Amino acid sequence: MKFDWSVIADNWPLLLQGAGVTVMLTFATMALALPGGMVLTLMRMSRLAPVRAFATGFVEFFRTTPIILQVYWVFYVLPVLIDFRASAFATGLIALTLNVSAFNSETFRSGINSIRAGQRNAALALGMSEWQALRIVIIPQAIHRVLPALASTWVSLFKDTSLVSVIAVAELSYVGLQLRSQTYRVLEVLTAMAALYWLMGYPQAKLADWVHRKFKVSE
Amino acid sequence: MQFDFTFLGGYWRFLLNGVLITIWLSILSIIIGLAIGLVVGTARTYGPRWLDALLSIYVDTMRSIPLLVILVWIFFALPLVSGYSMSPFIAAVVGMGLHLGAFVAELVRAGLTSIRPGQTRAALALGMSRMQAIRIVVLPQALIRMLPTFGSVLVITIKDSSLASVIAVPELMRQSQVVVGQTYRPFEVFTVALIVYFVMSWPVARAVDHWYRRIAHLGAS
Repeated sequence: MKFDWSVIADNWPLLLQGAGVTVMLTFATMALALPGGMVLTLMRMSRLAPVRAFATGFVEFFRTTPIILQVYWVFYVLPVLIDFRASAFATGLIALTLNVSAFNSETFRSGINSIRAGQRNAALALGMSEWQALRIVIIPQAIHRVLPALASTWVSLFKDTSLVSVIAVAELSYVGLQLRSQTYRVLEVLTAMAALYWLMGYPQAKLADWVHRKFKVSE
Repeated sequence: MQFDFTFLGGYWRFLLNGVLITIWLSILSIIIGLAIGLVVGTARTYGPRWLDALLSIYVDTMRSIPLLVILVWIFFALPLVSGYSMSPFIAAVVGMGLHLGAFVAELVRAGLTSIRPGQTRAALALGMSRMQAIRIVVLPQALIRMLPTFGSVLVITIKDSSLASVIAVPELMRQSQVVVGQTYRPFEVFTVALIVYFVMSWPVARAVDHWYRRIAHLGAS
């Protein structure tokens, strides 16, 4: 078997474009999923039982089912249920956002719970409202504690963007798999694709490690 | 739009087969992942520095490449290099095992280093060998501390096994796609598949949490 790497050189712009879409999708998803996770967290702390139950059910459901199936579901079911049609990119973005919001909400919740109850009580005793206590006292401290978990979620999200290739969003995996079937240079194309992921993912994984070390809570 | 789930009656055997393959695939990958993770995690914590550097390349590579890409590469590209082709199922087990192994290795390392060094020193002072100290004192406590994360590893494995559909392993995801292709009823089929995945993963997550709460005190030091 002879390998012909010129196929990579010829299609380099296409692969780079795919990598660009992957990066864009990662940023866009996280930008939406941070507020999304916050809203879910607040809903889970709500006084109204049905709101709490809905948010908890939502989070548990999205955390325990495969993303690839969620992507298919949003792609096929949302248009039927609410007569909503979006581009493949938007559909993928919605599916990933729902998923990452659920994970973020769990992160935020454990961050807030990790701040001792005495702090909240002290804030209330000083005359702050419930919301002020959360905003001024608890959240600023909780942010430091959730950063490591958010960094891990970021790395997972970066990799999970590859799953929207199943609904033909032209990110790196989709471009790679298409090129493979067009050129038949299976090994060259798939290796180049894996290498591109590695080049982008490795620094992120190392950065996440650094965040973990820097913001580690010591016992 | 009318929803009709009755046609699934004719496919339940087909889908159940997919569920069994999903479970079988998950179990085999977990076993391989645990074996790799225990060896690599322990070797990185206690082994020589060059071994740690070498293994960190494996772990970080698996952490930075999507599982989808790993599976596709092992199934389609590896045979061109090695000359041996694998069945989709074997390729999926190998890919998932390697991917999980890296994850478990990080877990094991974090668990081992979380046990205070004073414990190892005390064990050594009692005349234990280094191996005995790890095996009798450190590892049992570390394993208990790892339990909650281990629960999420189980859930992740069940979820990730759905990616094997990309290389045509006839597990639940793949079988659902086939049924959709034959019946053109994506809503019903994918909704049922979602529920089945939830029913498989959620009790596992809760059971491990419950079990951990009962034995957590054994890992406290």
